[in-house]
Amino acid sequence: MISPFSIILSGFLFAAAAPLLQRFTRDRAHVILALYPLLTLLLLINEYGLVVDGPVIRESLSWVPSLGIGLSFALDGLAYFFALIITTIGLLVLLYASAYFKGDQRLPRFYLLFMSFMASMLGLVLADTLITLFVFWELTGVSSYFLIGFNNQRAAARAGALQALLVTGLGGLALLAGFIMLGNIAGSYDLPRIMESSAIIQQSPLYPAILFLLLLGAFTKSAQVPFHFWLPNAMEAPTPVSAYLHSATMVKAGIYLLARLSPALGGTELWHYALSIPGAITMLLGAFLAFGQTDLKRLLAYSTISALGTLTLLLGLYTDDAVKAALIFLFVHSLYKGALFMIAGSVDHESGTRDIRALGGLYLQMPATAAAAVLAALSMAGLPPLLGFISKELLYEAKLQAPVAAPFVTAAGVCANALIVALAAKFVLMTFFGQAHSTPKQPHEAPILMRIGPALLAGFGLIAGLLPDQLASRLIEGAVQAVRPEIAPVHFSLWHGFTDVLILSTLTVGAGIALFRWGGWLLVRGERMRVLASLGPARAYDSLLRGTLRLANALTDAIQDGTLRHYLLLALIFLCVLLGAAAAPLLRHGTLPAMSGIPFHEAATAVLIALGAVTVASSKSRFTAITALGVVGFGVSLIFLFYGAPDLALTQFSIETLSIVLFVLVLPRLPKLLDTSSLSTRIRDALLSSLLGLLVALLVLLGADAHAPSHLQEFFGEYSVPFAHGRNVVNVILVDFRSLDTIGEITVLLVSALGVYALMRSWPGERQ
Amino acid sequence: MTAPMMIVSLTALIVLAVESLKKRTETIDPTLAILGLVAAAVYAAATLGSSGTAFAGTVRTGGFAHFFAILFCASGILSIMLSKSYVAKASIEHGEFYSLILFAVVGMMLMASAADFVIFFLGLELMSVAFYILAGFARGRLMSNEAALKYFLLGAFATGFLLYGIALLYGSTGSTSIESVFEQAPRLIGSTIFLVGLALVMIGLTFKIAAVPFHMWAPDVYEGAPSTVTAFMSTGGKAAAFAAFLVIFAPKLTLLSFEVREILAAIAALSMIAGGLFAIAQSNIKRMLAYSSVAHAGYILTGIVAANSYGSSGVLFYLAAYTVMNIGAFGVVAILETKEGGFLTFDDYAGLSARKPFLAGLMALFMFSLAGIPPFAGFFGKYYVFVGAIEGGFTWLAIVGVLMSVVSAYYYLRLVVMMYFRSGEGTFDQPVARLALGALVLSAIAIIWMGLFPSLVVDLTSRFFS
Repeated sequence: MISPFSIILSGFLFAAAAPLLQRFTRDRAHVILALYPLLTLLLLINEYGLVVDGPVIRESLSWVPSLGIGLSFALDGLAYFFALIITTIGLLVLLYASAYFKGDQRLPRFYLLFMSFMASMLGLVLADTLITLFVFWELTGVSSYFLIGFNNQRAAARAGALQALLVTGLGGLALLAGFIMLGNIAGSYDLPRIMESSAIIQQSPLYPAILFLLLLGAFTKSAQVPFHFWLPNAMEAPTPVSAYLHSATMVKAGIYLLARLSPALGGTELWHYALSIPGAITMLLGAFLAFGQTDLKRLLAYSTISALGTLTLLLGLYTDDAVKAALIFLFVHSLYKGALFMIAGSVDHESGTRDIRALGGLYLQMPATAAAAVLAALSMAGLPPLLGFISKELLYEAKLQAPVAAPFVTAAGVCANALIVALAAKFVLMTFFGQAHSTPKQPHEAPILMRIGPALLAGFGLIAGLLPDQLASRLIEGAVQAVRPEIAPVHFSLWHGFTDVLILSTLTVGAGIALFRWGGWLLVRGERMRVLASLGPARAYDSLLRGTLRLANALTDAIQDGTLRHYLLLALIFLCVLLGAAAAPLLRHGTLPAMSGIPFHEAATAVLIALGAVTVASSKSRFTAITALGVVGFGVSLIFLFYGAPDLALTQFSIETLSIVLFVLVLPRLPKLLDTSSLSTRIRDALLSSLLGLLVALLVLLGADAHAPSHLQEFFGEYSVPFAHGRNVVNVILVDFRSLDTIGEITVLLVSALGVYALMRSWPGERQ
Repeated sequence: MTAPMMIVSLTALIVLAVESLKKRTETIDPTLAILGLVAAAVYAAATLGSSGTAFAGTVRTGGFAHFFAILFCASGILSIMLSKSYVAKASIEHGEFYSLILFAVVGMMLMASAADFVIFFLGLELMSVAFYILAGFARGRLMSNEAALKYFLLGAFATGFLLYGIALLYGSTGSTSIESVFEQAPRLIGSTIFLVGLALVMIGLTFKIAAVPFHMWAPDVYEGAPSTVTAFMSTGGKAAAFAAFLVIFAPKLTLLSFEVREILAAIAALSMIAGGLFAIAQSNIKRMLAYSSVAHAGYILTGIVAANSYGSSGVLFYLAAYTVMNIGAFGVVAILETKEGGFLTFDDYAGLSARKPFLAGLMALFMFSLAGIPPFAGFFGKYYVFVGAIEGGFTWLAIVGVLMSVVSAYYYLRLVVMMYFRSGEGTFDQPVARLALGALVLSAIAIIWMGLFPSLVVDLTSRFFS
């Protein structure tokens, strides 16, 4: 029995071991590392019958049970389908990369990241709970970030990496929010439970919000318009990375998510429109923009965007035929796009350029690569007898029977596919055939490891096209069943007879060739459009980033200016607002306690305190201020005395005296007081502090009736002697009833003394 | 039993005695301090299952209090491990440094175990006074002096609020026992004095956790204080203030009117937004981390606003994760800082991965965890409090949190970009002390461990609130 968890775990172990392996095997780590995808692939093939026909293999480990999060994995048809793609292409790209980066210092790091990515991607498709899925989703994002930024000496690579991470990161967090809401409604994060709760989810008022958040996650990852702009910029990545991440795996993660969750969320009218419209736009725009590209990799990137749009469109239609067509197209696309990316890399590697205008006639120097390119391009163009042809036939069939706007969808499909045909022709004809140009490097055939990958992928496209029923139909059937359980058995054949689908196919190929031959005008227009269209969202991203930075700087300058007084100002304003809000209802309903009957000596003391406080604040001499402060303190002690707390008054008296003495000792050593603040500042400060004082006074007065009776006097009076054997109540409180407080206070004093001592000692000049 | 507190206090006194008796104390002081903290942590861990009170019901022991005791000890141990080489570098090697850290730990423990407002206030003062001094410990540096003075003045202000609040609460309930004050809450819910008292206590604590709009001191103090002190203050100090928040408010927040929670929610949202935005604008890493700690205060407050067991135990998990990841980040900063207090800007870190691959790797790990990217500890902290907030009816707050997480990814990852994708000139030839590196490795292990096996901590923390 196959264990998904062990597969993923061993992937990370291989990743961790990669740098060491590279050192011990003297640059032959790829031989050992390749064992991982190879063995996984063999294991998967071994389970072929079981997974495609049999029950779903589930595995669950408890992870955070109290939060209801398990580490669950499931290997069903859909996961199997994706896992096959991930391991196969992973294996080939790994071998390809070992030759591509031969002798590069950074190869150990590349292996580490590449293997982590592969394991994360497997984790993503095997995850059986939303949280597990999210964790691996983010892991693919992080490892891809480092992979894209691998050419890190180039500013464009860094910007591309950061852009890719921020855009997909935003999507990822939206996804998390959507997942949490979904889990809340379904009562569980387990995917099977969520599938069962489909009806509840779709009727929930939160359904549109959930769908929006999930689509945000899927669309950013799978480069749908208007988030498509990061993918071409991520082409700064080394080619093996693009071949793996940007054709077959990471960008398909969004599509995988949509397919995976479609049984729970799909089929509603909202689903149809929310997926089909962006999908169709992406499909058309991607193909159109690709047409104007001259960089081989960017051309492939835009055509990938178009393919991803097609997939989203098909999943949006969500009929049996559409899902079937989507999955077979995804399979075909991974095969030919992976091959073409690797071929673009080989061309770049051997000739020194990937500018299509500087290339030509390479088939003489690179015959094997050229042969693979022809096969892959034919599959891309959808010509028989390749698998691409079958996929395109199904695509048209699904579009013709679309539940909404079938004619429009079909027309859009024909247009996009005609452009794709032209692109395939452009890629292969302008690179390998036609007039040879002089290139930066003298081109020659790529090393064997860089030929295996494209040859196998392109070759499989041909064989599977010849024997579709034997090689592909059950695989696709198993995958489709995971999404639509009631589907009839799937059968593929190369020849369908003369149907309207065949007419569309012929039309597409004809139009495509015509576009390639005479499409110059479109190219010019495409060039112009490219500037416009790619600037739209990309500029929005840029200005959002720049605007945030500017806002951050402005706010920081305005608020955090380093002046203590301004900090206090802000804090006090907030306090005033808070207290004001509390006081407002009381002002209307509350009544002030009667003010008459206040004895003269109390009123006089209060006035004295107030006068003292005003003098402290307004005095220009330190000595006056300190004296006035003393007056305030003594006034407060008097109030204590009036209200029958002689011990407290005594303490306060001695503290006041002591602090004045201390102040006077320090005073001569201080610099002269400088009057720096302006009149308006002083008025503002005076107003604010008066307001705060008034508010507090008002609140205390208004709430005076809420005083609870105190039982302390009786308590201590009664228990001092029997419990503590002491007659001096104050002393008993200090050393017995609240002894912990006292010892604590002593500790605070000790710490303060310690601090003073330490600060005096640590003055650098006085150390020796 | 209050043994952890006693062990640490005693160790502090022993360190003081040794300092005054012996001539060369550079090694023995930190060794003693670490041993004392380890002993206290081990004791606390062993008695985690117990629960009880001491000193006539004014101090609580076991469970919650001991969980925090372990956290504070860990914060102290890691900070001391980082400090030994740091204080030597900055030539501020005095034994008082370690006893001050120990006394601050005692203060924190008192705050987390207080059952009485007076005890809580005592702990707060003990911790704060030690912090004021520690912040100014590098007396030769102007920035350090400024930090200490600002911290002291603003801190005294906050203390004033707090004390006045406690007085008002006493006035309206006739008791300083936290439990009995809140027992009377339903009766006093319309009383202005009671509510104002509550609000003032809350504001005092908000100062200590550095939440907006009372966060202003944090960047200046965190930047000016010696880096290892900042590591200690920003983790242990924050955790202690949050512990007090939980002790005072968590079980009863739902009793209070909804407006109280709304105000707290607003403070949380403001902290996340302002902290995140300000952090973007920084070019100094210590300041960036300071603002990010303001944002983290907002995330953690989210768990308190939630006022349910998810939120509360989420706060504990978050604090544990935050302690290790933030000490780690400040630790890297402290190791790389030069004798003169330089090497603190983003530009200085350019190309660090080529020159110090191991340190750069650790820093990247800390940044990923702070950004909340799974599978590191920081992710579960965030997840936990967000789930709590949604369950508690504060979905909008969780959404703000998620959005600001994207912003935070920007400034954390910017440092990773600097270290990995830029080439820097200049050489870095300072030796890296093994003890300090050990602290970083311990933190990294804790982060990965808590990220991969969160249930060990989750099960522990959720027990306190079920």
